[in-house]
Amino acid sequence: MKISGSLEKDVAALKKLLPAEDILTFEFTSAKGVGFAALFADPITDKELLGEQVVRPLLRYEGELFAESVKKRITSPEVRTESDLEKLSEEILAGNPVLLWEGMDEGIITGTKKVFVRAIAEPSTDVAVKGPREGFIEDIKINTSLVRRRLKTPELKIDFLNVGRRSQTYVAVCYLAGTSVQRTVDEVKKKLGAIDIDIVPDSSYLTHFLSARPRSLLKQVGTTEKPDIFCAKIAEGRVGILVDGSPIALTAPYLLIEDFQSSEDYFVPSYRATFTRLLRLLALLVAIYLPAFYIAAQLFKLQLFPVKLLMTISGSIRDIPLSPSLEMLLVLFVLEVLNEASIRMPKYVGMALSVVGALVLGETAVSAGFVSTPAIIIIAFSGIGLYAVPNLIEQTSVLRLVMLLVAGSVGTYGIILATAFVLFYLVTAENLGAPALAPFAPLVGRDLKDSLVKYELGSLGLRPRTLKSKNKRRLGHD
Amino acid sequence: MRARKFWNTVPMKLWLLLLAAILFSFFSNDFGLVDIQKTAVIVAAGIDKTENGFSVTSQIAVPKGTDRAQGGTSSVNITTEGPTVSDCITALFGKTGWVPKLVFCDLILLGEEAVQEDVIAYLNYFLRNEYMPDNCLLAVCEGSAEKLLTSQSAIDDASSLAIEKLFSDAAEKSGKVLTNTLKDFAIGYYGVSESSYLPFVKMAPQKGAEAGGDSSGGSGGSSGSSGSSGGAEEQIYTAEETALFLKGKMVGKLPAEQTLALSLLEGNVFAGTFSAQENGQAVTLTVMRNSGGVSLDMKGTPTAKLSVDVTCRLCCRGTAAPIEDISSDVVSPAVLEDANKVLEGYLGALFENCKQTGCDFLELKKSLYRSSLKKYREWKDYLLDTVRPEIVTDVKSMK
Amino acid sequence: MTKISRRQLFFFLAFMAPVGKLIVMPARLARVCGNDLWLPALAQFLLQAAAVFCVLLLAKRGKSLYELLSGCLGKIAGKVCVLLVGAFLLFAGLLPLLEEKLFVQGVFYDTLPSLLSFAPFFLFSAYLCSKPLASYGRIFDLLAPIAAVGFAGVMVFSAGNADFGAVLPVGASGPAAIARGFAGSFAWFFDAALLLMMLGKIEYKKNMAWQGALCYLGGGAAVVLFLITFYGIFEGTALNQLFAFTKTSKYFSGFTVLGRADYLFIFLLSLVAAFYTALPLTGAIESVLQAFGRPAALPVLLSVGLSGIYFLLVYLFDYRFGDVMRAVTEQAFWLFPVFTLLLPPLLLPLKGRKHESA
Repeated sequence: MKISGSLEKDVAALKKLLPAEDILTFEFTSAKGVGFAALFADPITDKELLGEQVVRPLLRYEGELFAESVKKRITSPEVRTESDLEKLSEEILAGNPVLLWEGMDEGIITGTKKVFVRAIAEPSTDVAVKGPREGFIEDIKINTSLVRRRLKTPELKIDFLNVGRRSQTYVAVCYLAGTSVQRTVDEVKKKLGAIDIDIVPDSSYLTHFLSARPRSLLKQVGTTEKPDIFCAKIAEGRVGILVDGSPIALTAPYLLIEDFQSSEDYFVPSYRATFTRLLRLLALLVAIYLPAFYIAAQLFKLQLFPVKLLMTISGSIRDIPLSPSLEMLLVLFVLEVLNEASIRMPKYVGMALSVVGALVLGETAVSAGFVSTPAIIIIAFSGIGLYAVPNLIEQTSVLRLVMLLVAGSVGTYGIILATAFVLFYLVTAENLGAPALAPFAPLVGRDLKDSLVKYELGSLGLRPRTLKSKNKRRLGHD
Repeated sequence: MRARKFWNTVPMKLWLLLLAAILFSFFSNDFGLVDIQKTAVIVAAGIDKTENGFSVTSQIAVPKGTDRAQGGTSSVNITTEGPTVSDCITALFGKTGWVPKLVFCDLILLGEEAVQEDVIAYLNYFLRNEYMPDNCLLAVCEGSAEKLLTSQSAIDDASSLAIEKLFSDAAEKSGKVLTNTLKDFAIGYYGVSESSYLPFVKMAPQKGAEAGGDSSGGSGGSSGSSGSSGGAEEQIYTAEETALFLKGKMVGKLPAEQTLALSLLEGNVFAGTFSAQENGQAVTLTVMRNSGGVSLDMKGTPTAKLSVDVTCRLCCRGTAAPIEDISSDVVSPAVLEDANKVLEGYLGALFENCKQTGCDFLELKKSLYRSSLKKYREWKDYLLDTVRPEIVTDVKSMK
Repeated sequence: MTKISRRQLFFFLAFMAPVGKLIVMPARLARVCGNDLWLPALAQFLLQAAAVFCVLLLAKRGKSLYELLSGCLGKIAGKVCVLLVGAFLLFAGLLPLLEEKLFVQGVFYDTLPSLLSFAPFFLFSAYLCSKPLASYGRIFDLLAPIAAVGFAGVMVFSAGNADFGAVLPVGASGPAAIARGFAGSFAWFFDAALLLMMLGKIEYKKNMAWQGALCYLGGGAAVVLFLITFYGIFEGTALNQLFAFTKTSKYFSGFTVLGRADYLFIFLLSLVAAFYTALPLTGAIESVLQAFGRPAALPVLLSVGLSGIYFLLVYLFDYRFGDVMRAVTEQAFWLFPVFTLLLPPLLLPLKGRKHESA
């Protein structure tokens, strides 16, 4: 619906579109006697700025009534014009006041939004001992500014989209023109544009729509809370996605190996980085397989234990009423409950909870003969191992449970078959043209230099081949 | 449309079905499952010949207590009888309810009676068994295997553990014992030499010692289980002699010095000792480096060259010596000369033993077979009768 | 993922194909040829490498087996021929499957478990075989280092215990025994027939044929080395050692402290063996798909159906492995050279009329 030019009619039309009580109208008259009205959403508009930058200059305005002329009197740096009433109403809801007046050809949108933001802080999920400590926050503008500060190049493109029928959430698609593959950028934009959803409370909602196999156990979109990682991934040729209201940024295409890499790996010597990456892999394997192999060995293949260890285990489980597999499942269940509760609990209760978990439940359960000490040690070790790769916890904890169930049912061969199944599933998985298991399957020799092993920076002159970037070189010139 | 919807949901339904099957088998898990508590973990087996067949004494490891108490391993000995070894082991299940598992069996001890006939007649059970490791140690014992296994060791909780210590790598390198495994024994038996050897274990009471409280001893099992924990005399075990086997039957023994000689021929000895004479006094030498070998020369009369090369140091004299002498490891030429004679004597006796028993533990036939199939076929039946020894020893001193 | 790359194919030939020959074949060859067990295997690898060379020459044409055959013999004959190759693969896959079953029951359990413990393999094969053959390329990438590490681990633990002189004198078992061993070992050599089903999905590169044959021979050299080590460890008792690669490494003296650490490498090789065992079934399904096209549900139905049939066969022959092995290695062994050694060179002269797709 277009603006009619009649102030009364257009204000009424906008009020009809936005009947909420917190949508206010401030009416005033200019020196020339022309009636003006500013419509704004009360809680999210900076009224002081509105008065200073918009109302005060117009009170003395005596010029033409064309929007372009009026716009020049307004001192706000962010001023736009719009003639469509529906779009104007959307701007009001976004916190940008709309200015109308008698005899206007277009309305004026002023960027005097009131921004509530928390301070930039170190993200709790992505801690690095060395390296930058800044983390994304919930405001998309600040987040884009954090990106822009690190990539001061005209090649950095930030395309904005609105996603969510009701939330109209700003989504920023960031990429380096000439480095990212345009087809991938277009596909991401196409997928985002096609999303038909009510609201987007967090970026995780978008991952579902960006995934080739949304129901898959495998992660298909990368996540990070740190602008330095985000920028590094964009610089490798990936597409980054920022979502207003979410501190978690998305990156695509996603490779499984990304979660074994930490930002810190690039700030420490390469031998140390290689060691920690291998350690993460080992910890993850231990986390997934240790409980399963323990059960499989106990039930089906005692030979996997040295005889002295076997006797120790035999002695400790002698009076346990549960079967070994059920015992392990019980301990795992307790660990998962403790883990879930400790995350959700207020911090001051969390401390008490860990004491309850560690001492009361563990110690008492062993003394009472409910569970055995080896089972607790195995699960504790597995639990710690899981956190060596924190971004994969959702996937690995499910895999651990699956392996445990399979081991308790079929034994070691079951574990091997389940592994074979997972491997085949992983090698066939790909999203946005990138195979999830690259650079191992398919084998990309060049990309192995920054995979589980990390070569020193001088050897990483080329961008990952897997991402098919047009601009191949990142060290030196082509 | 509906059909397509159905097919689209088939994978999910199949996954759910699979999950249900896994959960069912997980909670009911019993595909012939035998967990630790129902298992007799046999760590050693002793085999004796009886009038009606065999008796097998199984030494079964049991946890000493819970892990919160003292931990460690204890054992019980259970003796069962039957016409075959398999019957004896299966009888264990019938009489105790434990399912016997042999995967941890590290020692098979053969009673003296049992080795008078072809031992493969009963050892074949272990060779056939996929769930039995063939790298377990094999030994012959003086008298009955049951008696030895159920005896109270002076040095370990379980007799089998004490015997296994005798067969450790370190013991083998001392030249005091020659060990063998079931696999290698079978290779000798089925090889062209048809010969092998096993350590011969003897036990003797440890003077002035009695068994301690909680250790092994036989808890009563079935027929004729023996041993009692409290008050039994503690035993020590030796295996310096070596039993010789031809076609599976024990045909003779190597005394301790020939055991050392064979070890030296195999080039295995490090830090082993032997004695020579100097001015009528004993001098002990320690072997620091050793190589040896047997080669066969088929030109003319077959000749077996037994060569031993030893580098040694002076370890001990039977007489008091000045401090200058004690501070030196060097062996005098006179001692070296006598040491050569001693070793030549040992090797000569060893060779004679080989000829007399017919046990080709020097693997002369194997050597001939590998070098010339034609000559092997020509000589195989009388090689040991005609072969002459050529003994070469070279005892050197550390400088 | 629509094509198998040169590297992936070479990985299959050099690392995966040898694994299937390390389970029962060594004991079987030792039974027939004694210390000459490596000679028939070497001959088989040389012949099979020649067949691989021929198949990879065919790969240059970029056509599937059905396209090659139908282009020359017509559609009906093409279908019949390609289905015959599929049927052969089904037949050839039975022995490795029974081997795998025995292997699982013998190695992964302390006591003889029920057949149900092997049943999950058929779920795995049903899943695996429902996927296009071309998607195997990436798994070859992944399995190659796994097989290499597994094999190297087993060999490191084994070699020190082997008396390599045990294979002397060469030819001791006599030409007749070696010939019998050669004929009997055909059952484990059908890799060229597997490659036939991959035709059309292989990304051809220059000189690929002889390089592929060399890779296959490289894998063969590893198997021959293993056979020599195997005999060096067990000598006259080698014929009693089924599941060879699980047996040779256990004598490593360090295990007294470590426990059976070699199981780690055995498990790695078992993982590769699981994929290799399912490959003939995938090949058979591919033959049907080439002959009758690829409707959406057909691969799934075929893989579930054929896996089910295989399960029934395994149930039927549960305690008759010896009979099956004798039947395959002594009576029906001639089928293997027909499909793996004769067919590839016979296909080489086929020119075809015009490109026809299935």
